[in-house]
Amino acid sequence: MTPDGGLSSTGSLLAVAVGCAAASLWLLLPRGEGGLRERASRRFGMLLGAVALALFVATGRRLGGVGEEAVFLIVALVAVIGGAATVVTRSPVYSAIWFALALAGVAGVLLVLGAQFLGVATIVVYAGAILVMFLFVLMLAQPTGMASYDRVSNEPLLSAVAGAVLLGLLTLFIGRLSAGPGECCAVPSRAAALAGGTPPTPIAPEPPADSAGRDPLADNHVARLGGELFGRHLLAVEAAGVLLLVALIGSIASVSRTPPDEGPDAAAWRAGA
Amino acid sequence: MTPSPLVLNGLVVGAMLFALGLVGILARRNLIVMFLSAELMLQGVSVSLVSWSRHHADWGGHVLVIFVLTVAACEAAVALVFVLQAFARTGRLDAAAWQSLRESVLPRVVDRELPASDAATLVFPRLTPAGVEPEHDPDAALEREHV
Repeated sequence: MTPDGGLSSTGSLLAVAVGCAAASLWLLLPRGEGGLRERASRRFGMLLGAVALALFVATGRRLGGVGEEAVFLIVALVAVIGGAATVVTRSPVYSAIWFALALAGVAGVLLVLGAQFLGVATIVVYAGAILVMFLFVLMLAQPTGMASYDRVSNEPLLSAVAGAVLLGLLTLFIGRLSAGPGECCAVPSRAAALAGGTPPTPIAPEPPADSAGRDPLADNHVARLGGELFGRHLLAVEAAGVLLLVALIGSIASVSRTPPDEGPDAAAWRAGA
Repeated sequence: MTPSPLVLNGLVVGAMLFALGLVGILARRNLIVMFLSAELMLQGVSVSLVSWSRHHADWGGHVLVIFVLTVAACEAAVALVFVLQAFARTGRLDAAAWQSLRESVLPRVVDRELPASDAATLVFPRLTPAGVEPEHDPDAALEREHV
């Protein structure tokens, strides 16, 4: 997007992209049609989704170098395509696997954005732990064949439209962020405020490097993040530890309640009381 | 100050992930897939937080994402227990199996008859055997050129 000119054409392109995304999601979501009709609508939905993604890429901002841009494009596409496939895939097992791919893309986006520790932590925590837990539950719970509730959706049209409206509003406001200062939504930069000590009146293309060592792009990334975490946020870390412990105890206590075999309790259990 | 192009693109990616997760939460009926959609929304928020952290040259977004990871782990542990309990009671991973908890004014979800699934009509090709199985030498199988 050019910063000053062509805002209206970019806006119309974005509107078309959001509309294509809504139609694509509606076509791709399971609607219980079955047969050739379902296959045809899925193919058309994939085509529309590709058009929407291409429009989003076309309206995205150009980054500095070709290499940087290509890397960001690849990881962002992996994240978004994986996320869309997570949502629209019928089989929950494939859904979980697509989610793992989306996580890999998200980790790549975090790495490109300069969050090295978080990129790796996302892979370790999500793909290594949570996703495996999901797969375990699926293996325990997966009935043979595809269940009926995997083949129909609640209000697919309304859901797709709701998601598209949210996406359109968010991209609209993100686009207005780049319109420059003086707009209602221009956000003051903390780095500029710290460096200058005054409200950020001058327009700089990049936030200047912080002299106080609080810039996440500086050296010793993990050490600085640890210092921040265990310095300013020590109480929150303690609270998070307590939260983890409570969740552990709570899940163990809940899962060890086995249903009674016989007697009046069993009838009440089966009735859902 | 205008955010850099990388920050703006990161924000757009975060918004897309959040919107996709919202669609999944609203539309899908499988409890596990609803869960994955919730995690997708959390990922979108994480990308947005890190983007803003880069814009402000501040660690706040990174620290918040770490806490998001913590809460997501707790949430997954507790909620998967409840999903397992729900499956043990109803035998389904269906959110509509618990529709007796709905508001009294809302209509009941009635499943219509579904046409035959694609999976039942899939025909896989039978591969013809190619070549002849060679003679196996059990001694040769134990030999190794390299340790």
